[in-house]
Amino acid sequence: MSAGSLPSGSQVKDPGYPTPSENYLTNSKGVLSWIFTLDHKRIGVMYLVGVTVAFAVAGLLALLIRLHLFQPDGMVFQGEEANNWYNQVFTLHGAIMVFLFIIPSVPAALGNFLVPVMLGAKDVAFPRLNLCSFYLWVFGALFFVSALCASGLDTGWTFYTPYSTTTDSSVILATSGAFILGFSSIFTGLNFIVTINTMRPPGMTWFRMPLFLWATYATSIIQVLATPVLGITLLLLIAERTMHIGIFDPEYNGDPVTFQHFFWFYSHPAVYIMILPAFGIISDLISVHSHKRIFGYRFIAYSSIAIALLGFLVWGHHMFTAGMSSLTTIIFSALTFTVSVPSAIKVFNWLATMYKGSISLTTPMCYALAFIFLFTIGGLTGLHLGTLATDMHLHDTYFVVAHFHYVMVGGTLVAFLGGVFHWWPKMFGKMYSEAGGRLSALLVFAGFNLTFLPQFVLGSRGMPRRYATYDPEFAALHQMSTWGSMLLGFGLLVALVVLLRSLKTGKRAPANPWGAATLEWECTSPPPFYNFERAPSVGDPYDFSNLEWDAENERYVKIEPAREIVPEEQPAAEPVHADDSK
Amino acid sequence: MFALMNNMPNLLGDQFASKFTWFPKQASTFAAENDWLFFFITWICVLFFVPIAGCLFYFCWKYGKPKGQKAESNTAHNTPLELAWSILPSFFLVAMFVMGARSYLNQRTVPEGANNIGLKAFKWGWTMDYGKGVMNPELHILVNEPTKLSMRSSDVIHSVFVPAFRAKKDVVPGRYNYMWFEADVASEQVSKEELEQAIIENGDGVWDYDKWQFTQDGYKFFDLYCTEYCGKNHSVMQTVVVVHETVEDLDAWIEKVSKRPVDQTPEAWGEKLYNQRGCAGCHSIDGSKRVGPSFKESYGNKRTLTDGDPITADEDYIRNSILYPKKQIVAGYQPVMPSYQGQLSDDDIASIIAYLKTVSDYGPKAAPKTDKEETSTEE
Repeated sequence: MSAGSLPSGSQVKDPGYPTPSENYLTNSKGVLSWIFTLDHKRIGVMYLVGVTVAFAVAGLLALLIRLHLFQPDGMVFQGEEANNWYNQVFTLHGAIMVFLFIIPSVPAALGNFLVPVMLGAKDVAFPRLNLCSFYLWVFGALFFVSALCASGLDTGWTFYTPYSTTTDSSVILATSGAFILGFSSIFTGLNFIVTINTMRPPGMTWFRMPLFLWATYATSIIQVLATPVLGITLLLLIAERTMHIGIFDPEYNGDPVTFQHFFWFYSHPAVYIMILPAFGIISDLISVHSHKRIFGYRFIAYSSIAIALLGFLVWGHHMFTAGMSSLTTIIFSALTFTVSVPSAIKVFNWLATMYKGSISLTTPMCYALAFIFLFTIGGLTGLHLGTLATDMHLHDTYFVVAHFHYVMVGGTLVAFLGGVFHWWPKMFGKMYSEAGGRLSALLVFAGFNLTFLPQFVLGSRGMPRRYATYDPEFAALHQMSTWGSMLLGFGLLVALVVLLRSLKTGKRAPANPWGAATLEWECTSPPPFYNFERAPSVGDPYDFSNLEWDAENERYVKIEPAREIVPEEQPAAEPVHADDSK
Repeated sequence: MFALMNNMPNLLGDQFASKFTWFPKQASTFAAENDWLFFFITWICVLFFVPIAGCLFYFCWKYGKPKGQKAESNTAHNTPLELAWSILPSFFLVAMFVMGARSYLNQRTVPEGANNIGLKAFKWGWTMDYGKGVMNPELHILVNEPTKLSMRSSDVIHSVFVPAFRAKKDVVPGRYNYMWFEADVASEQVSKEELEQAIIENGDGVWDYDKWQFTQDGYKFFDLYCTEYCGKNHSVMQTVVVVHETVEDLDAWIEKVSKRPVDQTPEAWGEKLYNQRGCAGCHSIDGSKRVGPSFKESYGNKRTLTDGDPITADEDYIRNSILYPKKQIVAGYQPVMPSYQGQLSDDDIASIIAYLKTVSDYGPKAAPKTDKEETSTEE
């Protein structure tokens, strides 16, 4: 069994390959076996398909937006209704991306698949609630998209009052959809909190959990605590529209800024729902593909929790120009700066992890590197916006658009792709083309920068956001951005093709293709439907010392030094006290 | 140095100092300090980003190894180092916060004796109130004197943004927000010949600010944008800021726009008001359907209201629709128009009605242009 690259005389521990009747993908057949499945892995795969479709739709809308902005007077939409079309398209792009893609992407799709396997458990704590949350997502998505398509929605994804209480587009349908999606998010969060609290195997203390689980835990706390506020806000918005209760609409003595407070009290923490799981993925990816223990485990773990808590205190920075008192504004600015510290800690720790590692430039590692590069730009440009004086100029310009795209796309999306490439062999049991994967990472990286770097300059030059047409002096930068978006779109298409092609032609994946030490790599690829026969023995999730590359079989294996089994000592035939004579 | 670029020769008209600059021209007392702070933060970002990106690539090259090789080190943590990189950057953050907050407070504290101008935002236009009933969509202010804007909105949230002044504030319905700034660069004036040429080429329609890059009074200008999404025509909810050199110059302009000049017909004045005061944003004159009914064939025509009552769009109906626009809505339209009560004089309204007659074949035939009585009502 042991090949040339393995130290001779050692014992190899490898689970081999699953049989078709064990493989969770094939152990039961037919559409119904998927529709009614309680298997967290299948639910995760269904989520993966769902969020990918949502992403594709919203991504195509983004391309439409960029194409329209290729010319100052608008290239795509023409005629009297052109601006209405544009407004509906950017609303649809933002709303689908936020509610249907980014928020559920990592926690619901990857988290569902990984959390129980990483814990060595057979499933999440509440499998039925888990399936329910998926159907709420589907239901919410249908509700949402049909509402958006029926009479359109032109409020932007933020539903600011009083615009949203006076426009004649289908605000009530859309907010109901978002309300339902909120429940889906809460159920997932609740499930993960209970699962991580109660189902860790013996020996897995809090500080022996993979960092992805820490990030998921922090995310779940935010989902459970913040999402209800969004639900309440949306219900109040519906009540304001239908019954004029006079809370948000100044015509009935309401205050529109109150809506902004309510809305951002959820939606700012939601930003961390989007980015924290990405941090978790990157912590694992950097460590595994550097084959080196993660540096500063506790700082990374605590910083996730710190971000989750501080994230609740900074919502006011979305409203620096809205007319809060100067004192409130200054306090929110100060709090905003505090939240940048834990994010910086993570970046430094990742770099220190790579230092003196043994780095394999695999596709997931390429995405992780792109993440660090892009997220750092996204984070640093947040400083210009958190500083009050400069925000007076940059607020609601393209600078903001570029900043949050660097965090959400350069951050979350790139981490999500890295995570999908990393766990793809585990999820589907197939290896993809490394060359194709790396090419996609390069294209996405180049296209992304070409799209959004010019937007920083557009913003500082004074280009306001959400404009369907613009002054001709901004045209050159807008055109650069549009070319970049085409390249970005092409890169993402390459990634999709590489992954889908692997399902057909990919080589069979070994249990541990990357040399990771977390528990999900100790079951077969793909895992059997029961995950683990018995709870696995828990080691250090970042101890790579006993993982060796098996060149012959192209896999990593856990090795143990050959042990001679010493025969157990036999009890003496006669009790020692038998000889009473002494 | 980025900052140096701001002093390069003028290539792109008045808005930008150079093609490669990061900012529009600095034209207010806030601008220099704001831009300095921006570059201060940017350089700190560069200071952090370059080593981070450098390490990223260097480590990949230096520690990139074939599969199976072990890491050279497996240090789990180094608490002093980690504390250092957690705490040291905080000093930079405090510096940014303090400088940002200080100059923000300055931007929120209106100096004594600032000139007060009222601003009303509506879907989709601006009305600046210069007092004594003088209203105009353009913002005209004095150089080297603080100006305070008292801002209100008649419908949804808008936001005033003057990039050249580095100043921005939302205009929220149901409350007054204020902002102030002190322009320190006066707008240049174009030559008379250039202006006359432009007026002829532009024709009678809406003045094309983008094309001419100066106002119809011949002033170069700074852009004023709406930066809070407000619906269909958000992106054209723009106006201009003109900074006058002297009080006399400003007063002369205010005098000029305050009422219909003696030598102008009501029809011509009405057309000007139609183009300037925001009518054109929602009411077409070519029959196409916008947010409000088209003015073509509108005067004297029969319409059905939302409650089913028929009505003839006569003088009185038009006057009522301007002053109480939410009362009698034509079926198929939303009650979204702001009231112009107190903003248009009787003569203005009469002029608009006169103009509407010229684009409609219905009703009593418009009086021929030679009608002396009409043209001299305001004498």
